[in-house]
Amino acid sequence: MYDLIIIGGGPAGAAAGVYAARKKIKTLLIAKEFGGQSLVSPDVQNWIGTKSISGLELAQNLEEHVRSQEGIEIVDGDLVEGVVKSDSVFSIKTKEGKSFESKTVLVVSGSRRRRLGIPGEDKLDGKGVAWCATCDAPLFGGKTVAVIGAGNAGLEAVRDLFPYASKVYLINRSDKIKGDAVTFEEIKKNPKLEIIMMAETKEILGDKMVTGLKYLDAESGQEKELKLDGVFIEIGSIPNVEFLGDLVEKNQYNEIKVDHKTQQTSQPGVWAAGDVSDVLYKQNNISAGDAIKAVLNIHDYLNGVERK
Amino acid sequence: MANKVTIYSTPTCVYCKMAKDFFKNNNVEYTEHNVAEDDSAREEMVHKSHQLGVPVIDINGEVFVGFNKREIAKALGVSE
Repeated sequence: MYDLIIIGGGPAGAAAGVYAARKKIKTLLIAKEFGGQSLVSPDVQNWIGTKSISGLELAQNLEEHVRSQEGIEIVDGDLVEGVVKSDSVFSIKTKEGKSFESKTVLVVSGSRRRRLGIPGEDKLDGKGVAWCATCDAPLFGGKTVAVIGAGNAGLEAVRDLFPYASKVYLINRSDKIKGDAVTFEEIKKNPKLEIIMMAETKEILGDKMVTGLKYLDAESGQEKELKLDGVFIEIGSIPNVEFLGDLVEKNQYNEIKVDHKTQQTSQPGVWAAGDVSDVLYKQNNISAGDAIKAVLNIHDYLNGVERK
Repeated sequence: MANKVTIYSTPTCVYCKMAKDFFKNNNVEYTEHNVAEDDSAREEMVHKSHQLGVPVIDINGEVFVGFNKREIAKALGVSE
């Protein structure tokens, strides 16, 4: 029986692991890998105390910091599939078939990329449908590609593609660009870019590889087609909460509701922090700080201390 | 018997770097093709894996898309 099981290995999970170990809480950390969503970032410039670091190095530093702590146990390369509570004990099962018991749980499982949920998206995943412009842009040298979504991630994907692709369409469902105006002004100047607003993507076309996409032009009501070699989907994130079932309350975005003073969820014994929670700003530094708040509160809880 | 290992990668791909670090730490020799620059290697990769994502790792003719440490370790016969 553990005192605490931490689910996740991003900045929140790593911060929680370090603090839990230093508080001598009997802790198990379960994570697919360390680093969180910044792993694929080429250059993180806002991790406080470090002017510039690659996502991979940041991940390695987080992992090393956790592993250097005495007493913490780690299961990596595995995913939690279910959390069940009975008689105030939490049973946790993993994909690899392991099971563990704990008095408390800290959910720091982060979020993942939102999918369009349209025909062709699954079938052509990796076959022209791509999720990481930083990673995959060089594979589209001389090709025509579309970026779907005009939030910051979409605008940055366009920028990442310019050095390689011969033409880039930016496809946006609404009539407003959600991403930073500064980035938008910068990419707008590039003659490779063509912006299509009020366009709802209906289908990604192709048999073995992407050949195009079909969209509804909301202004004219017409269905139109583009010829493409690649589609980068950048339409935001959804929290990783499925393994919790109905254990905790969530908001309309499926984020776990927490008390922002303590990070407690609606379920006694369960805390949450980082992108999986209903924190307003999704940031590495905030995730780390909120997870630390959670661990300090868990430490109080395990010692029978109630703080208001 | 030595493993014949080929990795198809791009310079910006994080999981490619993780895979190569894993090879180095386990003294696994490998051939690397940068598919961002080498068009014929890119075609070879698409032909082998029927997709365009990196890394693609070929271990003695068995093709893996992405870097799953557990699978790769098993195919190489090394510990994780």
